[in-house]
Amino acid sequence: MIRKKNLLDHDQSLEQENSSLVKSLEANIEFFQKIFHDNETLIARKFQNKYLPEAKCCVLYFDGMVDTQKLNEKVIQPILNTNLNEGLSIQHLLEELEFKVIVSDKIKASNDLNEMMSSIMTGDTILLLQGFDKCLLISSKGGPTRAIVEPDSARVIRGPKEGFTESIITNLTLIRRKINNQNLKFKFRELGEITHTKICICYIEGLALEEIMAELEKRLDAIKIDAILDSGYIQELIRDAPFSPYETVGYSERPDAIAAKLLEGRIAIVVDGSPFVLTVPYVLAEAFQASEDYYNNFIFASFNRLLRSVGIFIATGLPAIYLAIVTYHQEMLPTPLLLSITSSRQGVPFPTALSLFLMLLVFDVIREAATRMPTPIGQAVNIVGTLVLGQAIVEAKIVSAPVIIITAFSGIMKLLSPTTLGSVIVLRLFFLIMASLMGIYGYIFGMIMATIHLMNVRSFGVPYMLGLTSFKNHNGQDIWIRAPWWSMTLRPKIIGVRNLVRQSTKIGKGSKMG
Amino acid sequence: MKSIKYLILSNMIFLNMFFLTGCWNYREVEKLAVVAGVAIDKGKNNQFIVTTEVIQISGGRESKTTSTYITMEGKSIFDAVRNQISFAGKKLYWSHTKVVIVSKEIARHNMLSVIDWYNRDSETRSDVNLLVSREKTAKKVLEQRALLEDINSFELADTLKNQISLSKAPIKELWGFINDLEAQGIVNIVPAVHLKKNKNMYSPQIMGAAVFDNAKLIGFLNSEETQEVLFVKDEVKGGLLIDRDKTNGLKAPISMEIFKNKTKIEPVVSRNNEIKFNIKVDTRVDIDEIVGNVKYANEKVLKKLSNNEAKNLKNRIEHCIKKVQSEYGVDIFGFGAKLREDNPKVWKKVASSWNDRFKNVSVNVSTKVNIKGSGLFSEPIKMGD
Repeated sequence: MIRKKNLLDHDQSLEQENSSLVKSLEANIEFFQKIFHDNETLIARKFQNKYLPEAKCCVLYFDGMVDTQKLNEKVIQPILNTNLNEGLSIQHLLEELEFKVIVSDKIKASNDLNEMMSSIMTGDTILLLQGFDKCLLISSKGGPTRAIVEPDSARVIRGPKEGFTESIITNLTLIRRKINNQNLKFKFRELGEITHTKICICYIEGLALEEIMAELEKRLDAIKIDAILDSGYIQELIRDAPFSPYETVGYSERPDAIAAKLLEGRIAIVVDGSPFVLTVPYVLAEAFQASEDYYNNFIFASFNRLLRSVGIFIATGLPAIYLAIVTYHQEMLPTPLLLSITSSRQGVPFPTALSLFLMLLVFDVIREAATRMPTPIGQAVNIVGTLVLGQAIVEAKIVSAPVIIITAFSGIMKLLSPTTLGSVIVLRLFFLIMASLMGIYGYIFGMIMATIHLMNVRSFGVPYMLGLTSFKNHNGQDIWIRAPWWSMTLRPKIIGVRNLVRQSTKIGKGSKMG
Repeated sequence: MKSIKYLILSNMIFLNMFFLTGCWNYREVEKLAVVAGVAIDKGKNNQFIVTTEVIQISGGRESKTTSTYITMEGKSIFDAVRNQISFAGKKLYWSHTKVVIVSKEIARHNMLSVIDWYNRDSETRSDVNLLVSREKTAKKVLEQRALLEDINSFELADTLKNQISLSKAPIKELWGFINDLEAQGIVNIVPAVHLKKNKNMYSPQIMGAAVFDNAKLIGFLNSEETQEVLFVKDEVKGGLLIDRDKTNGLKAPISMEIFKNKTKIEPVVSRNNEIKFNIKVDTRVDIDEIVGNVKYANEKVLKKLSNNEAKNLKNRIEHCIKKVQSEYGVDIFGFGAKLREDNPKVWKKVASSWNDRFKNVSVNVSTKVNIKGSGLFSEPIKMGD
């Protein structure tokens, strides 16, 4: 409640002072300094023209937010050195400056305070001129940004190596460069009542479904939050099935992946300050797709994709199945395996269920620790983890060796598709509890419950299990395997229904023959 | 309101499907006393003596699997089995049991008293191998040390498994025994086991078969006869045919390895209701051992060899059938069952008197031996001197 009140106060103060620029330069500067009092990054640089001393100016900007070289050379220098006496109308000096003197790609005269505020705060420069109750907003965004590098979250061996950065404009540029089409649309809006974060809805007109677009805008409109610091905020605020462990909004750090999703009829949401671009609608099958799949040989890519999807089953199910068989259904084990498991369990004090819980926990502790640690310390954590897990704990007979193997196997498998990490950890624990209570029936029961849940989930009206439930028509082309490009002539159903044909050329057939 | 009631009801049924079918007993593997094999003998005062071979595992880096034997008496089999808890501590775990050895004495008396518990109990499995001991007690067979394996019962099971390349003993699992017991027109033969001295110690050898009349043991077949019976029953998948015939001009017998065998039994009912059986044996063999100067690459020679062997086999089978008919008088070949399959009307008439009819039923055996190869060589080894 308190926060809400503060927010309101802020807005009211702005309203009261609105459009209160006056003709005096000093008063105007003071006005801005009053608004930004105690903010010493505000720079007010006063100067005047060589030839026309009445043309007193002041540029206001925030230190570090602007490209100072550009400001010096294209704004201050022309105003200082141009002979303003010649052929310029003094009465309309502001317009004259705008049109004839200042070298800038984006410039606008304004007396709207809100506009001025958002401009200066995003790195533009305000030029005040003596005798005018208006100002010029000059685009001068600059300051430090991160270079375009290969994203850590999705590395590839084959394929484009650029990744999004924290700058929204850079990100949009990266997308634009992939899709040279006038139908690629960018719709901006601001979210976050304190942060005023820019976000951009990006879609291809004629491909993206209007219903989904309308739904997305409705959900974005409903957001009333103080701050958006990462696209993760929006992801959770607009998602379907808010309590599900499964992601219902996709994200990627790779422009090529986002471009591909736009081309399938999805809608992307780019958030300023976040290198992760969201896409809706999102279906489960996307968790197993990696952008490299589409650049590699389709057989190799299909193999990798099968590994990923099978990996999820093993990662979630293996501990539960092991527990069920070893503690409930010993008759299912081949005799030599039973004997070897029995021998490894000799003298181990904890029950299998408990040791599995413990070891899975330890694995996640090490994973979490290693993620947060700086790389050198992370390595130390890894060494300790491997030694403690792999050897000491077995030799000390705290847990049996098969449990370590199962944990390690499940742990590695779950890393095959990093986007599903959260749901895998939750599901694995759930299955394990079920299996420890009811044996293999518990696991099956858990699987059925998970499947029922998955069949219920929808992402922006699109069934979450799209494509996974049937192999009919072109549904299965890009799910468990990645079909060769020449055979993928259609876009995915439902999402790409507005323009289903992806390729109509018969290149594939021809080249197959030749 | 009513629909909600049905929803809840159907949900409860659905949930119970999972909860009630699930096993409730969580138990750790090391708490199990895994039974590898069991021997059943007759004790004093109509008691049963049950001996189990229980696997002992020592953990640690160099784990070792050994076994120990627990013998206990009881009024019934189950009683004896449960009595074992009184001094073995752990409850026996039967799912990995490989063999059940029954003593001659019990088999002669009534097999059912043994197999009923084993088949009925929920913890035992009916796919164990059944063996009849030719020794005095079954216990003696079970308690021998295994030759190559750690555990005697597992070695017995392996021996039975590899019988397919020997064909000198039938393979009978418990469920199969019960199947044949309940079926009409066929009686059981069960592999027989005895002890053989090998390097100062005795180890079990599986050879020959025990012949049952319903649930009672009535005699044994030796290994040769067993092979002949298996030929008729179409259960030969491997093994050897030895041609000892001296008329070939060979000094040593020829060994032929059987690769494939197909036997067809055809019941023929003539107009005056006389039942006859045509048995057609078709065997594919390979010469694997031959001594002497025979040019067997020659087609004529091969034909002679195969005809000779076919005649040999025919004689053996005919002799065997005669012997079974006269000596035991029970249908171990399953002629009756075959007749029932092919000609149920006739079977109905003769079913009640089948045992008597079997003794005199006439059989027409025709055999065919195809020699397909001669191992790695096509020529005999010549002495160069």
